[in-house]
Amino acid sequence: MPRLGAGGAPPVLPIALLWLGAAALVAGTVALSFSPRLLIGHSGSAGMVALVHTFTLGFVSLVFAGTLQQLPAVMFVTRLAWPRLGYVSTPLLLIGTVLIVCGFAAGFAGRLLALGGLTLSVAWLLLLTQHLATALRRWPKDAGGQALVMSVVFLTLTVVAGLILAGARTTPQVAATVGYPVGLHMTLGFFGAFLLGIIGSGQKLLQMFALSKGGAQWRVRSSAWLVAAGITAEALRAFAVLDSGLMPPILIGAAALLQLHEVHAIHKRRLRRKLEAPIQRYVLAHLFLPVAALLWLAGLPVAAAAAFLVGFTGMAVSGMLVKIMSFLVWTATFAGSATGGVAGGAPLLRDLVRDELEPVTTWGLAAGTLALCAALATQLVPLAYLAANLLLIGAISQLLQVTNIVLSTIRAKRRIEVSSARESTA
Amino acid sequence: MTRTEYTETNPNLPGITVLEFLRAVIDPELGIDIVNLGMVYRIQVNRGDVRVEMTLTTPGCPLHGSIRADVEQVLMSVPGIDTVNVELVWDPPWTPDLMSDEAKYSLGFP
Repeated sequence: MPRLGAGGAPPVLPIALLWLGAAALVAGTVALSFSPRLLIGHSGSAGMVALVHTFTLGFVSLVFAGTLQQLPAVMFVTRLAWPRLGYVSTPLLLIGTVLIVCGFAAGFAGRLLALGGLTLSVAWLLLLTQHLATALRRWPKDAGGQALVMSVVFLTLTVVAGLILAGARTTPQVAATVGYPVGLHMTLGFFGAFLLGIIGSGQKLLQMFALSKGGAQWRVRSSAWLVAAGITAEALRAFAVLDSGLMPPILIGAAALLQLHEVHAIHKRRLRRKLEAPIQRYVLAHLFLPVAALLWLAGLPVAAAAAFLVGFTGMAVSGMLVKIMSFLVWTATFAGSATGGVAGGAPLLRDLVRDELEPVTTWGLAAGTLALCAALATQLVPLAYLAANLLLIGAISQLLQVTNIVLSTIRAKRRIEVSSARESTA
Repeated sequence: MTRTEYTETNPNLPGITVLEFLRAVIDPELGIDIVNLGMVYRIQVNRGDVRVEMTLTTPGCPLHGSIRADVEQVLMSVPGIDTVNVELVWDPPWTPDLMSDEAKYSLGFP
């Protein structure tokens, strides 16, 4: 009979990473609101690529890295290996992200990009080693846990592929040897890291938060292998080994379809009829998968990428960010100590969340993504302004929420301490 | 809903009474007490020594520390109880079916 063994990193590490991830989204949307015309024109412009990396590295990857400081302990039911390693990897993640974004914003500055790529590669190799060492302590038998391991491998490969791209820009020999595999870099990041990460962690988390038992191991397992096969096909094409044609999008599309089926099944069989607002946002995010597919089929790949990245990945990460943040700060503050049965002491987790902010975040991000896709598809300037401002509203609301969660918990802790002091004095 | 099993040797402290006290322990995520959630599998009372065999909604639940501490604190405040031993078990695993009708209703289940 397994004993409980949850144990993550020092709480300050994941809490800081999650908060900084939310702050990075605000920074990116502020930048976009000052220059929404970036959405009109060449999608590979320096400013646009800098914005995309603010989102992928600043928001999604920081939240992912923060989650990895706690989630494996829950999913694998073991203790995190080298829990203090985050004190090394976290500063490297932050420095590398800033260098990369500045490198793109400065007009593809090769040295900044190479240095940033190297820093991030070291950070993610450390995180991958920690994750694998944790998994090896108690190898996950469930498909979700295995998919999570694969997604961390793919995220690390994405960063390494980015370093190779930076090397190809500055060193002709690198370019001559490996070419310029942007497609592989994007496929690894979008689908190997983000889609698979959401598939892997989502089944367990959604079932837990929705009190459902609708999940199926075969669906998650099949999704994981389809994504892996799609990435392999893309790699064969990138290195000119084989022209894989439409195989990568077909395989990855099938994985996304299975994920939609999985989320629908869990949602349908939930016992908690009214899901909490952050979980509703996580579920709603999946509607952007068919939107992205339709845009791609309509010959609008940039708009499709925006729907996938901001709509699906952004909203799914945002939903889980709020839930995981409340768990993290609550357990960091109250775990292991009696709370007087909760009723007389610590607040419930839901009391840490300001309800009025949740719809603002959800609809800001959702409507902002739709406007973003429309702006990219039509190249209309007013839509670009609308998208920038809606996304900014959603991002600010999310940052206010995660800040409020931390402050509410601190206030609750103080209240309990004052109350205990009065009782002992009396 | 699961039926909690009792083993008791103290006529002044029946297991059902111990279970009633455990209604004060609330799951901070769900906002429902652990008895209505069906988490308490077995209560053994041997004079002043109480052993509670219980589960959580998921293995690895990060809330285990506070829930276990709450169970110990609540029972240690009961007159006649000298020691409390809380054992977390995962067999059978917790499922939503173990919840009482009252708990299901409070979560919006018709």
